[in-house]
Amino acid sequence: MKNNHYIGEGWKHAVLIIGALVVLLPFYMVVSISLKSQQEIQSISGGLIGAQEVQTFPVCTKMGMSEETCTMKPYVYNYWFAFKKAPIARYLLNGLFVTVSIFLIQVLIALPCAYALSKLRFYGREFIFSMVLFCLLIPVHAIALPLYVMLAKIGLVDTYAALIIPWTISVFGIFLMRQFFMTVPDELIDAARMDGMGEYSIVWKVMLPTAIPALLAFAIFSVVAHWNDYFWPRIVITGNRDLFTPPLGIREFRGGVDSDEFGPMMASIVTITVPLVVAFIIAQKRFIEGITMTGMK
Amino acid sequence: MHYSRAHIWFVGPAVLLMFVILIFPILLAGGISFTNYNLGNPSFDWIGLENYDKMFSRKTYIKMIWATATYVLIVVPFSVVIGLCAAMLLNSLRFGADIYKTIFFLPVMATLLAMAIAWEFTLHPTMGLVNSFLANGCGGMREFVLGFHWLPWVNSNASWYHIACENNNDFPFWLKDRGYAIWTVCFIGVWQAFGFNMVLYLAGLTSIPRELYHAAEMDGAKSTWEQFKLVTWPMLGPTTLFVITITTIRSFQVFDTIEVLTKGGPSKSTYVMMYAIFEKAIQQNLTSIGAAITVVFIAFVILLTFFQRYVIEKRVHY
Repeated sequence: MKNNHYIGEGWKHAVLIIGALVVLLPFYMVVSISLKSQQEIQSISGGLIGAQEVQTFPVCTKMGMSEETCTMKPYVYNYWFAFKKAPIARYLLNGLFVTVSIFLIQVLIALPCAYALSKLRFYGREFIFSMVLFCLLIPVHAIALPLYVMLAKIGLVDTYAALIIPWTISVFGIFLMRQFFMTVPDELIDAARMDGMGEYSIVWKVMLPTAIPALLAFAIFSVVAHWNDYFWPRIVITGNRDLFTPPLGIREFRGGVDSDEFGPMMASIVTITVPLVVAFIIAQKRFIEGITMTGMK
Repeated sequence: MHYSRAHIWFVGPAVLLMFVILIFPILLAGGISFTNYNLGNPSFDWIGLENYDKMFSRKTYIKMIWATATYVLIVVPFSVVIGLCAAMLLNSLRFGADIYKTIFFLPVMATLLAMAIAWEFTLHPTMGLVNSFLANGCGGMREFVLGFHWLPWVNSNASWYHIACENNNDFPFWLKDRGYAIWTVCFIGVWQAFGFNMVLYLAGLTSIPRELYHAAEMDGAKSTWEQFKLVTWPMLGPTTLFVITITTIRSFQVFDTIEVLTKGGPSKSTYVMMYAIFEKAIQQNLTSIGAAITVVFIAFVILLTFFQRYVIEKRVHY
């Protein structure tokens, strides 16, 4: 009986390890290519990191740099050239700026609304709540085209504003916060009013601190979604490289599998994917909790 | 409850934005879909249902609907079932569950666009690991397993694997071949989505009370399968419903992998709706037909969610 158990456990691990290998395969591929030289990539040799032989890179000398500066190990070259070819740091900062702005505006608008919907009584409250429930059904990506037409009409295409505006209203955030505020006892708010606090300070000084766990979950949900979003930036940013978000930066690098140098391209992918993946691995418990919480509502 | 005028300032901005950003665009798309408006043109004419007529009669759009339906109908069941199996396996492990959980969740977090390019290289006919793995396995164990030679009714000299090996390692060009592209893209979709479903199922599994399993055992449900049928599956009803809905909505919106890997091709076999909207309306500036696709798309999504929320929900909650 006991033996059986161990055999069962072994089988489970065997299945899961095969699954894990399939899941990790593209990650391995990216990291490996970002370290190896072009010849090793094309002949699929050299294992994970390649032989790392010092060599002179012709693409680099063609750009007018001396032979000396262009002689280095493949992994150094790949990452050096990736940063040389595109303003990756700028892309990352753009990504950070856009995601943080989106999140802050979402909270600024959703939190007071959620408070009013859960704790204040006023004419039309039920109507507004059903409006929120209806809007929950609308995926913003699906209405990208009319939004694009509207932004084009007011001349906002190719601006930071275009990247941020469609996401300023998060009905999902309102819904999540409202559900959370429903569990906050009315006595807490009444006590605050007794102390002479106005409704504004109640929202930001009483309700906000109680909502930290829900806010954190929402922050993870929001930041992950918008850091990784490719569709919307692809539509509204048409050519201005200064506004590129990380996914657009990756896209720019991929000049076509058959034309470009693959090492630097994969190095740029690694650089751009790493921040979120590392954040996830460090705080994975919070991430998974956050995603489940926002997922399950 | 408290009476105050503060609510106007609290809900005002949200209501305004909901109207301008979410509701008005739907009306706008509806309006544009009945015209021949193109962005940049000063004037337009009302042309009634012509755009919709095109959508349901022209070959391109018929293919679009096929590709979208294929994608959704493959990715949803596979990612849900694999997600459930992974969750149940992890739940029954004695050690190591956390590591697998992290690994399986990685594709959910990683930028999909980047991973699409990673898959493109992995599946590349000459530089990719997949085809070199297959080619190196000719005549060996890999051919035996993946060529299904272990099934008694498969003639080992006529299996797909053997034929490819015979023809100078003629393995599929996964993304360039009309017969394979849509399945390859579906595979990447499943690869990306199942970890998310697994995490939701894990949360669902932990909320099932242990006593129910004891009770089921008392009632004679001894085997794992019987317990699954009697307890786990019904108790996971609400989770399953939610997982199916969210995966469906996301699958409908597939875009990143298509845009970077196939551009809707070869011969429109992966021409999904989001890509069609992008290509027609943004790249070719055919705004009105794009608007018609948008309207059909929104109708699909809203109907589906509505159906889930108000019709089925009543049946799965205990």
